[in-house]
Amino acid sequence: MTFPTAPLAIIALGFAALSAVILVSFLVLRPPLVRVTKIWLLLGFGVFPIAAAFAGNVQGFEATKEREFCGSCHVMGLHRDDSDNAASNSLAARHARNPMFGSENCYVCHADYGMFGTVITKAGGLRHVWLYLTEYRNVPVEAAKATIHLREPQKMNDNCMQCHSTRDSLWLAVPDHRAPLEAERAGSLSCASEGCHGFAHPFFRALPTQAGVL
Amino acid sequence: MNQRRLLDAACVAALVALALMTWQLFDPRVWPVIIAMSLGQVLGTASFVAYGCVVIADYRAGMQARPR
Repeated sequence: MTFPTAPLAIIALGFAALSAVILVSFLVLRPPLVRVTKIWLLLGFGVFPIAAAFAGNVQGFEATKEREFCGSCHVMGLHRDDSDNAASNSLAARHARNPMFGSENCYVCHADYGMFGTVITKAGGLRHVWLYLTEYRNVPVEAAKATIHLREPQKMNDNCMQCHSTRDSLWLAVPDHRAPLEAERAGSLSCASEGCHGFAHPFFRALPTQAGVL
Repeated sequence: MNQRRLLDAACVAALVALALMTWQLFDPRVWPVIIAMSLGQVLGTASFVAYGCVVIADYRAGMQARPR
């Protein structure tokens, strides 16, 4: 737990503190319920808390992009540790060391893009919470490996192509890129497959004997 | 419940809501963020509604007491 330094977090804390001062003063001093008191209470119950909630929610939504957030469910602990590991050569870890991804590397690679991408991604996050509560809460990480999977793996190449457009001449000069080009663009051949750039999270692959354990 | 007690309860609810909403800023992990955006919001909204009810009831009582 650290003291927040983001501007929105400071703003939220400031408004929350102002509101708390008014509410505690009302409880302690017990002033008569006259017009001035009502105006102060309007600030304490309405204006300041709404401002605190707005700034806090925006900050909260930003926090949901952070690797620390994704890794706070135990089944994602290995993913977080690998991305934190400066010595790891997994595809995910290498991207985490790129400042364009940085501490938001989970979100950048797994988010939906497009007009409603953020909303769809957040709705997907709620599904993750539901699955965690109903299925994975008490499942050991080793057992979770057997069933955790991408819901729409064919879409993952789209996210790779946000940066690697597949149209650059240097990229196309690589024979292994050029030959299966249509399959790569369609997502039927994953960039992060064993014969290409390797699995993004190779440590999380279930052993063949583990399949179907859950 | 009289107006004063309702306002006291609303104050406590609003303080709890503020605590929940600020908890996520110090500990931005899954549960603090989800609780802030659900329970925190509900408690905060409920306290504001309670305040609104008290103000409206007080205004109506004032209107009725006014000589015609």
